[in-house]
Amino acid sequence: MEILSFNLFISALRLATPIALVALGETYSERAGVINVGVEGMALAGALTTAVVAYFTGWPWLALIAAIGVGALLGALHAVWSVYLRADHVVSGAAINLLVLGFALFLTRVIWGWRGTSPSAPTMNAWILVGVGLFLIGLSQVYIFRTPWGLRLRVVGEHPRAADTAGINVYRTRLAYTVLNGALCGLAGAFLFNNLGRFTDGMVGGRGFIGIAAMVVGNYRPLPALAAAYLFGFVDALQMRLQDYIPSQFSLMLPYFLTVIVLAGFLGKAQVPKALGKPYVKEQG
Amino acid sequence: MRWIRETGPVVGAITLALGVGAIVTALTGYSVPQVFRHLAVGAFGDWYRLAQTLTQATPIIFTSLSFLIAFRAGLFNIGAEGQLYMGAFFAAWAGFSFQLPPVLHPIVCLLFGAAAGAVWGFIPGWLRAKRGANEFVTTMMLSYVAINFTSWLVAPGGPFHGTAWANQTVRIATSAQFPRLLRGAQLSWGLIVGVLVAFLVWYLLFRTPRGYELRAVGQNPLAAEYGGINVTRNMILALTLAGALAGMGGAAETLGTHRRFIELFSPGYGWDGIAGGLIARAHPLGAILAAVMMGALRAGGQAVDRAGVAPADLAAVIQGLVILFVVAPELIRYFRRLVRRKKLGDIEL
Repeated sequence: MEILSFNLFISALRLATPIALVALGETYSERAGVINVGVEGMALAGALTTAVVAYFTGWPWLALIAAIGVGALLGALHAVWSVYLRADHVVSGAAINLLVLGFALFLTRVIWGWRGTSPSAPTMNAWILVGVGLFLIGLSQVYIFRTPWGLRLRVVGEHPRAADTAGINVYRTRLAYTVLNGALCGLAGAFLFNNLGRFTDGMVGGRGFIGIAAMVVGNYRPLPALAAAYLFGFVDALQMRLQDYIPSQFSLMLPYFLTVIVLAGFLGKAQVPKALGKPYVKEQG
Repeated sequence: MRWIRETGPVVGAITLALGVGAIVTALTGYSVPQVFRHLAVGAFGDWYRLAQTLTQATPIIFTSLSFLIAFRAGLFNIGAEGQLYMGAFFAAWAGFSFQLPPVLHPIVCLLFGAAAGAVWGFIPGWLRAKRGANEFVTTMMLSYVAINFTSWLVAPGGPFHGTAWANQTVRIATSAQFPRLLRGAQLSWGLIVGVLVAFLVWYLLFRTPRGYELRAVGQNPLAAEYGGINVTRNMILALTLAGALAGMGGAAETLGTHRRFIELFSPGYGWDGIAGGLIARAHPLGAILAAVMMGALRAGGQAVDRAGVAPADLAAVIQGLVILFVVAPELIRYFRRLVRRKKLGDIEL
């Protein structure tokens, strides 16, 4: 079949990138014990920031840095809420998603006068970001499992009290990796903008949640999560080509359907960090 | 006075959010007094405007109940939007396919909507209980599936493409429609049904053994299991009920507001339900108030926009801030401690 061309595998890699970046970020924060459902909103904020900065300065590189920064700030917000103020992790993440969506609709109106979309703005080659993503994922696989810092990260998620006893600051570790998660989501958002060339409020379209699914399927490991993300990217790429053959509504459903099926078929086997989603309260002494 | 202790932080959060919202308004160059005046007048200024607020609050009552019933059982139903669409379509289908006497017809339609939503809640419930699949991912994913599926049903070439000028079904029978409550406004019996259902959910959760079991599963599944409660079954039930409630919300939209199913009709009522459930602190009767507040923000926001004062989406920003502050009760407590400390001149312990 002509759909299954070499090109398909290439565009699958491209479409897998934002999912893989979110999955990587979520791997870090969940390894530290923080569930972050706000990835969807953080990626959207990254995309919007890229659009705004690229539009006004014409410098896509500056836009990229700004997107990472805004993502990191939102990561910090989520960390303060879930780690320090002990809000429910999922609830805090959902709140961030709604907040960012509200801001996106509002700011696009304020800046460009269009609800939820931007005009086109200068972009950089999205393949550079694909490369950056692959590099970071490879690096993270080594970092998490082969370095003392990675060990500390994992202990904080598995047994925070033991980590605390060993002199690791549980709160600060969780803050740091949730910020990192936000930054990676910002990067994912920057990719989405550079891939399309303009901003729309639906451009993340569930890829944040699919990224979480990829992380679960990858069993909290960066390289297997990349493989899962590639599968989702592949279906996304396939879906676009199938639109010539079946009603677009059905092809659009495919990635979401696949996510549900994969999660359903896979789970129970994942080794969830033991302290995931649980607030840590220091012993009063 | 338990309810003061419960609502205090929420009122604090709303005040804080309005304050930050005012700062955002000022920073983006809009007039704070103008925006807030139009927001209030637009939402509550006269009977017609109040009706608009309540019209938009109606589906949010249902989706808030949907979120909170799952939340009480320790689950996250992020997919009320999709369940709402399923309910709205199947209620419409029952509305234009059947010939039934008045009173009975809308009830049948409502049940069809509830059933369609229930199926859309059962699937992630079953997958969570039996297969361990994260319900906050699957409900979200199934939402996209439902929105696309219902769009296809009424798209050109789809089986229920009812009118040439828009992607929608034909009108439902007059016998199936919810009567309107105010001449010239879209407000319908849907609101009354929503309030009744909220009381039913309250009764179920707090006055029946079933509700006790649901809440026990939510508070501590291991202890519930040990106490002889079937956790698996209650998880599935919770998400099925959540789906049914959101589906009824969609049905109420069809029967009362639009009188047909329209592609992409919801401006995000399903997502508002997450906010509503949280602002209500998962209390069914609080959900009514929370939904009215959000309906007011929507209707008021539109008035602000029409008056050319600021974009309607400013209301969405305020709503986002309210949720953010509501979900962190520690934040309000922290502020309160700060204030109290200053008053008493206390030394930090």
